[in-house]
Amino acid sequence: MSMPLLMLRDLHVSIAGAATPLLGPLDLDLGAGECLAIVGESGAGKSLTTLALLGLLPPQLRASGSLHVDGRAIALGSREHIALRGRTFGWVPQDALAALHPLRSIGAQLRETLRYAGIARDATRAEALALLDRVELPAADALLARHPHELSGGQRQRVCIALALATKPRCLLADEPTSALDPRVGRGILDLLDALRRDLGLALLLVSHDLPLVATLAQRVLVLHRGRCVETGATAHVFSAPSARYTRELLAAEHLDAAVPAQTGDVLLSADDLAVRYPRATRDALAPTTIALHRGECLALVGESGSGKSTLARAVLRLLRTPTRGRIVLDGVDIGALDSRALRPFRRRIGVVFQDPFASLDPRQTAAQIIAEPLRIHGIGDSAQRRQRAGELMQTVGLDPATLAPGSMDPAVMDRYPHQFSGGQCQRIAIARALSTDPELLVCDEAVSALDARSRAAILRLLVQLKRERGLALLFITHDLDAARALADRIAVMQDGAIVETGAAGDVLSAPQHAYTRALLAARPAALGAAV
Amino acid sequence: MIRAHRMAGAGWPRRAMMRAMISILRRLPRSALACIGVLAALALLAMVGPWLSPYAPEHPDWNALSAAPSFAHGHWLGTDAIGRDTFVRALYGLRLSLLLGFGATAIALAIGLAYGASAGYLGGRSERLMMRGLDVLSALPFLLIVILLLTLFERSLWLLLAAIGGYVWIDLARVMRAEAARLREQPFVLAARAAGANTMQILCWHIVPNLLGLALVYASLLAAQAILVESFLGFLGLSIDQPSAGLGTLLQEGTQELDSAPWTLLVPAVLLVATLACFQQLGDALRDWLDIRGAANAGGPSADRSRPEAAPAESAMPATGA
Repeated sequence: MSMPLLMLRDLHVSIAGAATPLLGPLDLDLGAGECLAIVGESGAGKSLTTLALLGLLPPQLRASGSLHVDGRAIALGSREHIALRGRTFGWVPQDALAALHPLRSIGAQLRETLRYAGIARDATRAEALALLDRVELPAADALLARHPHELSGGQRQRVCIALALATKPRCLLADEPTSALDPRVGRGILDLLDALRRDLGLALLLVSHDLPLVATLAQRVLVLHRGRCVETGATAHVFSAPSARYTRELLAAEHLDAAVPAQTGDVLLSADDLAVRYPRATRDALAPTTIALHRGECLALVGESGSGKSTLARAVLRLLRTPTRGRIVLDGVDIGALDSRALRPFRRRIGVVFQDPFASLDPRQTAAQIIAEPLRIHGIGDSAQRRQRAGELMQTVGLDPATLAPGSMDPAVMDRYPHQFSGGQCQRIAIARALSTDPELLVCDEAVSALDARSRAAILRLLVQLKRERGLALLFITHDLDAARALADRIAVMQDGAIVETGAAGDVLSAPQHAYTRALLAARPAALGAAV
Repeated sequence: MIRAHRMAGAGWPRRAMMRAMISILRRLPRSALACIGVLAALALLAMVGPWLSPYAPEHPDWNALSAAPSFAHGHWLGTDAIGRDTFVRALYGLRLSLLLGFGATAIALAIGLAYGASAGYLGGRSERLMMRGLDVLSALPFLLIVILLLTLFERSLWLLLAAIGGYVWIDLARVMRAEAARLREQPFVLAARAAGANTMQILCWHIVPNLLGLALVYASLLAAQAILVESFLGFLGLSIDQPSAGLGTLLQEGTQELDSAPWTLLVPAVLLVATLACFQQLGDALRDWLDIRGAANAGGPSADRSRPEAAPAESAMPATGA
């Protein structure tokens, strides 16, 4: 590579007036036909980097540094820099639904963008069709008249890529292009991006927190941690011989040990022909389904979004407002038929953890109040005892008030509000709340999906430990096969509201019987070890 | 500074509330703070102002009929046609208007919050029924009913409070319902249901506390509305005028003396406009600050602003304060 297309030196991004920068210093080179990945956890400054390149930082942020395109110096924020948008940089957003105009047809949006690129009005239709063909969308003719909400997530993301390509950029900035998509669909998007890079000689700047994905796609990788570049180099080299401690931690977090099958007891919870149909729906959200969960066992429900796994979990928890059909039996009692008053004693025996760690904690309550709430609901202990119990539970889930707040300087860790904790810590608080009534069963609805790799690994280790020490039964709902492998004794694969395959975790993952399971497994990026 | 008051705080709820209040005040936009300041000054003036003057509000000074404002005779802002001091009367009027404004707002807040939160959280048929009830209420000719009430019964502060409070809560209930319906589907409410909380517990512990911020914003707009309604009734001669009149009544009297004593119109008008403008501006400022239409911020601005930009690693605590 003689002259990189893009050369960025000493980029700093800071809040106007603040001393320490949010991002930087950062150096970055990108040649035509090359894919550079920026990896790091949320808040590391990945998106800030792309925004700074595009000159689209929010007004309160200032960027400084030197940018060279084709060896020509361009001042950040200048007219020339703005002019790079579209012609040099194309942008592929994370959330395609939010990035597309909801009220205008795909065709109108494509043709508008083509007009920006200087295409004559009567040529735009043919160009738009060519673009949709380029991003491998079939039946392009019919698609032009459709609106964003009529398309699937994968189709929308392809339309966004087509929009980015419309102005014939030389470099695509893709900001977490697949994190809102199911793995199978995301795989297709990545293959498309890779094909565009090869065929059109595009430079591709891929922002991602997903290391296995990066390993398969990028030639070079840049690891960001808290706004600083901690390591950069050829992907294979960085992943096989990481030099920075942080990179090693990230890679270690990707490697999850497979679960050791647990000793299981009698059936704790079973659903017999459980079915759900939402009002005014034409088909069942959950077709009649039968599952059984034994004491001390972890059953993982695996499937893509819309497969009915969360509906099944909520039906079992009696959290749906829609009536269900079939029986839900907890320890010999049909709880599906109980009214809410009679159900209360059984609520104590099941804990729940949801996906979004921030949304699942009341922002107006302190950590101690949140954890002690189930006790308060069931009238267990007085407020001093409950508070003490909350403290113990925080230790159990690895949020030791003593280690978090050294000395007596700050007695208030328990009295902090959710926004004062990180995502992983919030999820620990949610787990502590679920454990407060000493349940026999823990239902985790995508409990690790919203977390960074390191937090995910830590929470999974915590769940494994809780399961072993307390003999907890776990109903673990996930779309993440690696998380299922790390935790589950048995796996049930769901598609379109029905279970298509169920069996011991090892068997399902190593010798899948159903075509859908095989497709899910194939979509998973190769394990890191294989890539390097 | 944050660290200082955090170290001092050892107790639980009251301290926490004080801290929350202080930190909210500190983060308020300047325009909101200015409004609160002006309103506080107006309220203070209404309370202690009349003592500064030797005259009583209803006492006619026969030596000074329609006297122009002057320091010489002690009627700083003049008198009306029968010699009553404009300054004192206007401040008593302001006192009554503010009292009615706050009182009616408190009533509206209590009813609207309870009604809206219940309707929104319950959902389904009860929600539809409750909202149709609201539609019927807002379709009633309010003025006609108030006029009937005030003519049938003896006019009193309480009747007026109930009438105005009973009118302005309807809009508040609608806003509260919409927000409660959004909160209903939040995972933290689901978690409480999964833990066995009953409807009352969820309403009191989760729904209402999370509605309070929004309710307070609307309260400042409601206060402006309540004061305006009272002035309007007063202008029509329907408000109470014993022992002292509200600002609306004063305005009505002032219009009749426009030629001889324009100050009797100007002084209450300025006070009314200042009060209304402050409440309105306060509500607008708070609404922008909380960005009420942005549905995603369950935590409000406190959650958005103080979250550290770089999310800390799993093991490290975020550095708040500093």
